[in-house]
Amino acid sequence: MVEFTLPKNSKVTKGKSWNPPAKNAEPGRWREYRLYRYDPDTGENPRVDTYWVDMSDCGPMVLDALIWIKNNIDPTLTFRRSCREGVCGSCSMNVDGTNTLACTMHAEDAKGAIAIYPLPHMPVIKDLVPDMTQFYAQHRAVEPWLKTDSPTPQKEWRQSREDREKLNGLYECIMCACCSTACPSYWWNGDRYLGPAVLLQADRWIEDSRDERTGERLDDLEDPFRLYRCHTILNCTKACPKGLNPAEAIASLKRKMVERA
Amino acid sequence: MATPLKRVRGLGAAHGGTETFWRQRVTAIANIPLVIFLILSIVCHIGASYAEVKAYLAQPIVAVLMLALIISSAIHMRIGLKEIIDDYVHSEGCKIVAIIATTFFAGAVAIASTLSILKIVLGS
Ligand code: SF4
Ligand code: SF4
Ligand code: FES
Repeated sequence: MVEFTLPKNSKVTKGKSWNPPAKNAEPGRWREYRLYRYDPDTGENPRVDTYWVDMSDCGPMVLDALIWIKNNIDPTLTFRRSCREGVCGSCSMNVDGTNTLACTMHAEDAKGAIAIYPLPHMPVIKDLVPDMTQFYAQHRAVEPWLKTDSPTPQKEWRQSREDREKLNGLYECIMCACCSTACPSYWWNGDRYLGPAVLLQADRWIEDSRDERTGERLDDLEDPFRLYRCHTILNCTKACPKGLNPAEAIASLKRKMVERA
Repeated sequence: MATPLKRVRGLGAAHGGTETFWRQRVTAIANIPLVIFLILSIVCHIGASYAEVKAYLAQPIVAVLMLALIISSAIHMRIGLKEIIDDYVHSEGCKIVAIIATTFFAGAVAIASTLSILKIVLGS
């Protein structure tokens, strides 16, 4: 749904400053972070709290700073993380105005105070944790697994080197949702439009030389909302922290639709 | 209390949209030379008299290109307006009214423009 203002209970208020450094603190030692905070249990509106991170005691990544704040200042700060090396897709959030992975973003790459919000236009469960239920259900809906009808071979489904290479740029997706939540079409019609991440995943199985249900998969995507809400705005490609190109995957889906029409 | 999967599957895929997508591209390509032709026609007739412009438009090639422009741009406009409505209008009632209104609008513009060209060509 198009919304240009936040609903009343989502309006962000000014929060508190937790640990402002002393006036005579060493210059450059403390880095300012402004973090979105929301606690469903209090019934209060979300707020932005300010924390200062001691860079002489903290790793270089944005995720290091969040962990430092949680360990040293405010244990109630809530966020997702797991691998801390850009492979699990848990720590996606909006850092300094861009959707990215907190664990692979250098704090140095942002200027001034670093503002961090949850992924845009998603329901918030708590603090930096968005509700990904719909996103995962959409992924499930494109049936992201190998589907075959030929008798299962004794050993494995064989794939030539060239065919395997066609999956490069698709298989690396970690489902972090940085792309989908950067896409205006997904913001306005996320209930019906599948969004760049899920469409890239759909293309990954359509491109797979071993999968035998290509036509059926295309049938399930051929829809003015599921696929054709994409207007090639390219926010998705710009956002992807893994350097993938979901817009190109979507263009490739549309080409196949035209080819078979 | 539908499950998330039930909700995202909704009413299923419409199995459509490709033809619209393709038509939008084709009319876009057609519109490039046709609009350039329109601009050149206007520029070349700055200061020309009514009779001169009328005579120009009555030439078969000019009339054919103008009719092509009218049809192509009306189709393109109708598709584009529906895309915008699909993007931004979410209540089913408003949506249907808006789609019908844009269809009538595009149709009316196309018919009125076509009639004007025909009147000039047929000289009535
Ligand atoms: S290219 Fe398509 S999927 Fe990517 S941001 Fe634009 S509309 Fe969204
Ligand atoms: S395409 Fe990139 S941004 Fe989108 S979900 Fe996959 S890894 Fe994340
Ligand atoms: S913690 Fe796994 S991607 Fe950042």
